[in-house]
Amino acid sequence: MSAVATEKKLPIAASETSDTAPEARRLGLLLTLPAQVLVLFIALFPLLMQLYISMTDWSPLDGVGWWQAWQSWNSFANYTDLAVDGRFWSALGRTALIMAICVPVEFLLGLGLAILFIDDFVGKRLFYSIMLIPMMVVPAVAGYMFFMLFQSGGPINNILSTLTGTPITLAWLSSPTTALIAVMVADIWQWTPLMFLILLAGLVGVPEDQMRAATLLGASWAQRFRTIVLPKMKTIIIIALAIRVIENFKIFDTLYIMTGGGPGVATETISVYIYKVTQQDLIWGYVAAIALAILLVLSILVAFAIGRMNAARKERVA
Amino acid sequence: MNRSLPFEIFRYCTILAALAVTLVPTVWMASMAFKPIAEWSASGADLTWWPRNPTLDNFRFIFGTSTTDLIVALDRTAAKPIVASLLSAIFGTLIAMVCGTSAAYGLSRFGSGQNLPLALIQLRLFPPMAVMIPVMIMWAFFGMIDTWWGLSLIYGIVTLPFAFWLMKTFFDDMPREIEDAALVEGCTRMRVFMKITLPMMRPALASSALFVFILNWSDYLISLLLTTREWVTIPVYMASLSSSMTGQLYGAKAALGLIAAVPPVVMGIAIQRHLVRGLTFGALKQ
Repeated sequence: MSAVATEKKLPIAASETSDTAPEARRLGLLLTLPAQVLVLFIALFPLLMQLYISMTDWSPLDGVGWWQAWQSWNSFANYTDLAVDGRFWSALGRTALIMAICVPVEFLLGLGLAILFIDDFVGKRLFYSIMLIPMMVVPAVAGYMFFMLFQSGGPINNILSTLTGTPITLAWLSSPTTALIAVMVADIWQWTPLMFLILLAGLVGVPEDQMRAATLLGASWAQRFRTIVLPKMKTIIIIALAIRVIENFKIFDTLYIMTGGGPGVATETISVYIYKVTQQDLIWGYVAAIALAILLVLSILVAFAIGRMNAARKERVA
Repeated sequence: MNRSLPFEIFRYCTILAALAVTLVPTVWMASMAFKPIAEWSASGADLTWWPRNPTLDNFRFIFGTSTTDLIVALDRTAAKPIVASLLSAIFGTLIAMVCGTSAAYGLSRFGSGQNLPLALIQLRLFPPMAVMIPVMIMWAFFGMIDTWWGLSLIYGIVTLPFAFWLMKTFFDDMPREIEDAALVEGCTRMRVFMKITLPMMRPALASSALFVFILNWSDYLISLLLTTREWVTIPVYMASLSSSMTGQLYGAKAALGLIAAVPPVVMGIAIQRHLVRGLTFGALKQ
C-alpha cells in the first residue's frame, strides 16, 4: 500500500497531464456530453427566458404563452418596483439575521463538540453516529417535528415548565419573536452536526507530533489551539462556514412547514417570499426580476470570493 | 488532548447532553407515531414521552385500512406518494450518477469539460427558488408537471454537482497503473472504463449513489412547485394531512414522517465515512 502511495507521488507531473490521444479526446468529449447538455439545459435557456420575462408583467393566468410576454412589456418597471418593495427588503434582512445568528452558533457548537471527539473514549463510534442523525432527517420532516415540539401544550413547554417549576403555555409559533427563535432552533438542531462532522475531520488531520512537541515545550492547551490547530484548520473552517452560509441563505423547507412564513410575515425569508409571490400573487414577471437580482448579487459575491481565494493562493506561492 | 478525570467527566456530561438534544425531536415523533388519537395533543400533566396505549392505528390510517376513532377519511392513502418519492428519487439518482460519473471520468482522465467543476458549483450555489420560474414554464411546456419523470429529471440536474464532484475525487484518487496495463494489452479506452474502472469503483459508486439518493429523497420545495396531485411526494402529501374538522392529524403525520425519515438516516450512517467528502464537494476527505 505504501509502495503504491510513494510511486504515485513521484511522477506527479506525468500523471497530472491527461491522455491526449485522438481516441481519448473523442471519448472524453463523449463522456462529458450528457453533463454539459444538462448544464446548458438548466442554465443558459432558463436564464435568457428569465431575463425576458422579468421585463414584462406576464402571469400564467394571462392566457398567453410566455413567449408572447412582450404584450405586457414594462422594460425596467419590475426592477424599480423591487428597489422600493419593503416586503422584499425585510425578507432579505430577516434571512441575513437568521444567517448571522444560526451560522456562528452552529459553528461554535460544532467546534466544541468536535474538540471533545478528537481522542478515543468509550462509546465514541456510537455517539458519533447518533450525533449525525439530525442532518439526515428529511428537512420537511424536521420542520414537522419542531412544529409539534413548539405547540403550546407540547414537550418544549413541558420541559421548560419542569425546569422552572411554573407552568408555561407559550404559543411559540404564533408570536413574531418566539416564532423566529423556534425556526432558528430547528435550523441549529439540524445543521450543527454538519459543522461537527466537517470540523472533526479537519481536527483529526492536525499532525499529532507537532501537538506533542508543543506540549513538551510547555505550551498550554489554548496556545496549542491558537498556534497549531487554527492555522491548519483555516481552509476547512472557511469551507464549513461557506457551505452553511450558502445553504442557510436558501432556508425554506423546515421554516415553511413550521410557520409558513408567519405569523404575518414574521418569519418570511427570501425563499418563502419568492414562493408566496409565485404561488399566491402569480405575477411571474416580477418573480423573475427578484430571482435575477438575487442571482446577480450572488454571482458578484462568488466572483469576489473566488478572486480573493486566487489572490491568496498566488501570495502563498510567491 | 487532556486526560484528567474532571475533563473526562465534563466530556461525558456534555456529550450526553448533546445526544439528548439530538434525540428529543426524533424520539417525540417516533413515539407520536404510535399514540392513539386521545393522546395526540395531551398536554400538561397528561403529556407522556411514551405512548400509554401503543397502537398501529396511525399507520393503518395513512394506508387507508382503518378509521376507527378518526371521523375523517383520507381522500387518498400514503401509498402513492411513497411510490412517487421512491420513483423520482431513484431515477433522479440514476440520471445524476450516469451523467456525473461519466463526466467525472472524462475530466479526470482526458481533461475534457474543464468548465464543468465551476459551472456545477454555481448550479448548487443558487437558491432553487431563484430559478424555478423558467423551470416551471419549461416543465409545463414539455408536459412534465406532476409526473414522476419530470421530477426525476430536475432531481438529476440538481444533484448532478454532488455526483460529479464525489466521483471526480474518487477517480483522482485511483491509481492508474491497472488502466495503463490494460491499455498496453490492447483494450480500447471505452472498454477499460466499462470493464475495469467501473467495477473497481463499485464501493465508491455505491456510496455516491446513496448520498445523492438521500438528497433527492429529502427534497420538498421542488416537488411542491412541480407536482400538483397525482405524483406529489411524501413531504408534500404530509402537509395535506390535516382537516378542518380535527385540525392537525398529529399521529398520522408522525407515522408518515417516521417512514420518510428512516431510509436516509440508515443510509447516511452506512456511508458516514464518505459524508464529509460528499458535503464539501470533495474538498475534504476523511
